[in-house]
Amino acid sequence: MRVFVFLVAFSVAVLTGSHLAAQEGHPLKGSWVGTWAGNKTHGNDVLLVMNWDGKTISGVINPGTDNMTIKNATLNPAGWVVHIEADGKDKSGAVVSYSIDGKIEDLRLPNRTITGTWKSQRESGMFRVARQ
Amino acid sequence: MRVRAIRLFAASLAALVLAGASVAAHHEILAKFDDKKPVTLTGIVTLLDWRNPHVHAYMDVRDQSGQTVNWAVELESPIDLQRNGWNKDSLRPGDRITVEGIAARNGSHQAWGNSVVLAGTGRQVLTVSSSAPTPPLSPRPTPRWPDRQPRLGAASAGGAQGYWAFPSATALVENGVTAPMSTYGLLKNIADAPKVAPLQPWAQALYIERQRRFLQDDPMYLNCKPPGGPRQFQLPYGVQFVEDRERQRIFVLIGSGNSNYRIIYTDGRGLKGQVGGDDDNPLYYGRSVAKWEGDTLVASTAGFNEDFWFTNGGLPHTDQLRLTERFTRTDFDTLKYEVTIDDQGAYTRPWSSGLTLRWVAGEELPRHICQENRS
Repeated sequence: MRVFVFLVAFSVAVLTGSHLAAQEGHPLKGSWVGTWAGNKTHGNDVLLVMNWDGKTISGVINPGTDNMTIKNATLNPAGWVVHIEADGKDKSGAVVSYSIDGKIEDLRLPNRTITGTWKSQRESGMFRVARQ
Repeated sequence: MRVRAIRLFAASLAALVLAGASVAAHHEILAKFDDKKPVTLTGIVTLLDWRNPHVHAYMDVRDQSGQTVNWAVELESPIDLQRNGWNKDSLRPGDRITVEGIAARNGSHQAWGNSVVLAGTGRQVLTVSSSAPTPPLSPRPTPRWPDRQPRLGAASAGGAQGYWAFPSATALVENGVTAPMSTYGLLKNIADAPKVAPLQPWAQALYIERQRRFLQDDPMYLNCKPPGGPRQFQLPYGVQFVEDRERQRIFVLIGSGNSNYRIIYTDGRGLKGQVGGDDDNPLYYGRSVAKWEGDTLVASTAGFNEDFWFTNGGLPHTDQLRLTERFTRTDFDTLKYEVTIDDQGAYTRPWSSGLTLRWVAGEELPRHICQENRS
């Protein structure tokens, strides 16, 4: 039975994934969901919403909860290398400065990913988000 | 139960893989087939699959080891074949044929058919030739409404049918730039990419990436996304203008766009509304308002979403795209289309391009329906 449940879940995941909305504009624009593994301050799960106005990549990390405004983000098309910086606050109100470095993979797909690493003054780990 | 589940899984996976294979099928020919892999196939027709967007002839071919292998030979579209006098009975199961073509890049038993010859008679079948209507020796005057405004559509109310097709250019290139391309906008020399338009670095890199992949990620073919923007005028099945003067709007019916249409308002309204539209009105064609400047209809179009390619060849755009389109019927049989692209999200400055379309008299606009997950 467990096998069957897995197979159904797998199929649903694949079929759902194949119907994501396309996004053929700036590759970073959109909502991204995933994990920054080992983040004890703000939890493992991360949501990014990014936009592109023609000059600047802007956005928010964990909108609605942590509301960390992206203060600097760059995309180097040579290798599709991404760098993101944002400041958040821990429970005591102390500033936690995040730096994310990664690379866009599967650029052509609507559910492309950014994989790399994240770090703050205190912690670091693997980073992976997929565009929704 | 476990065995049954695994069988079910295997069947599901196979279906998914096959669906994926067909999704990647209708493209720039070189997206799927390799022109460095010529192939000659001789065998027996098992099926002529007469469906959009491309007809397929399936044939049994005996390989070198004596095994019979069923090949899928991709041919032109049903519309183009019918225009050339062919139909689904032009080839029948049991016919012995020889196909000259090029094989699929992925090594599957698929080929693009450059020629199909009936072995018994030596007759070539399912051939397609496409050429623009021959213009008259002396240009006919531009047809006009009683108030002298040019007609963009039929020459008279209830008069002879017709539509615009055979674009002089099938991809956008900045005016004055020479960058040879295929019909689908695939550059002959990828080093020309930076010349095509004043692209921002990310947009140039994305354009080159699309070109290097032979345009196989084109959402118009993968997902039947509409040909918004100038692309609607670059495709083989043309456009038809229906001028509703009473309600002050022009409908542009798009032959290659799944019977889509676009409305250009001429009632003086402004450009307003949500950028990119919403799920009910996704704005692949943007919002258009226009006014006449002399004999030229000048349309301002904005509000596009980012879910499609706005030109053959895959030049990127963003939702900041604004078009200024100028339509001039220079004579009865010629429509001049000039476009200025202003997209500060993807380009470093506004730039212009253009093409001309030929009047196809006496015919209805072809109805090409894309079928998702169908090669």
